[in-house]
Amino acid sequence: MPQKKFDGPIPGANFTSDTRNYPWHRPPELHNYDAVVDYYMEKINEEETQDLVLSLLEMKIPLTAVVSMMLKQGIGKGKLGIDMAILTAGPIARYLSIIADEQNIKYRTGIEKRKIKVTPALLRAALGQIEKANQSDEEKTSEDMTEETMGLMQRPGPTDIPAAPAEEQAQMLGEEPKDELA
Amino acid sequence: MKFEEIIAKSIKSFFAGNIPQKTAEANNDELFYTPDYFDELEERLLDKKKETDDAAEEV
Repeated sequence: MPQKKFDGPIPGANFTSDTRNYPWHRPPELHNYDAVVDYYMEKINEEETQDLVLSLLEMKIPLTAVVSMMLKQGIGKGKLGIDMAILTAGPIARYLSIIADEQNIKYRTGIEKRKIKVTPALLRAALGQIEKANQSDEEKTSEDMTEETMGLMQRPGPTDIPAAPAEEQAQMLGEEPKDELA
Repeated sequence: MKFEEIIAKSIKSFFAGNIPQKTAEANNDELFYTPDYFDELEERLLDKKKETDDAAEEV
C-alpha cells in the first residue's frame, strides 16, 4: 500500500495560522501610559468595580495585590502589555489610595516596612543554632527508633541465629556421620 | 522575581516620587499622570470632602 507522504503539515504552516486566537496574541489595545492610567481610573470610578476594590482593601488585602490583580486581568483581556502594566502600577495604586482615603477606609499598602520583633528563637535562627539543635534532635530520634525496634517482631540480624551443630550441618550436606567407635 | 513583586516595586518607586523617565522621554517629556498630579487631586478631593462633611454637620 502506498504511503501518504504528502499528507502531513507543510513546514511553516504554523506561521500562517490565525494568531488572533487569544487576546494576548494580538498587540495590546492600549499602548500609551496616560491612556492606560485613564482607562483604569475610569474603571475604578465605575460603581461596581469601586465597591469590589474597596471591599478588598477593607478586608486588609494589600493595595499592591489589588492593583496586581486588576492589571493581570487587563493583560489577560489584551488591554495592555506586561511592560505597560509595570509602568502604570504606581499611578493606579496612588489613585486607589486617594479613593480609599476619601471613603475613610483603612488599608495596607503592601510596601510598608515590617517591624521585626527580636526574639531568642529569631536570634538563634539568625545564628544558625536552630539547625544544630534540629540535627541533635534528629540523631536522638534515630537512636530511639533503633531502641524501639528491638522487639519480638524485629528482623533477626546475622548474629541472632545460632549456628546449627556440626552433626546437623553434616546431615544437611548429605555426609554420613562418622562412627566414633569404628 | 514574581509579577506581584515587580508591581510592588513599581508602586513603591512611584510613591517615592519617581516617574518612568524613558516613557516620559518617548512622550516628549509630557506625562499627565505624575506624582504631582495625584498630590493635587488628593488635596482637591479631600478638601471637597471636608467641605461636604462640614456642611452636613451644620445641617
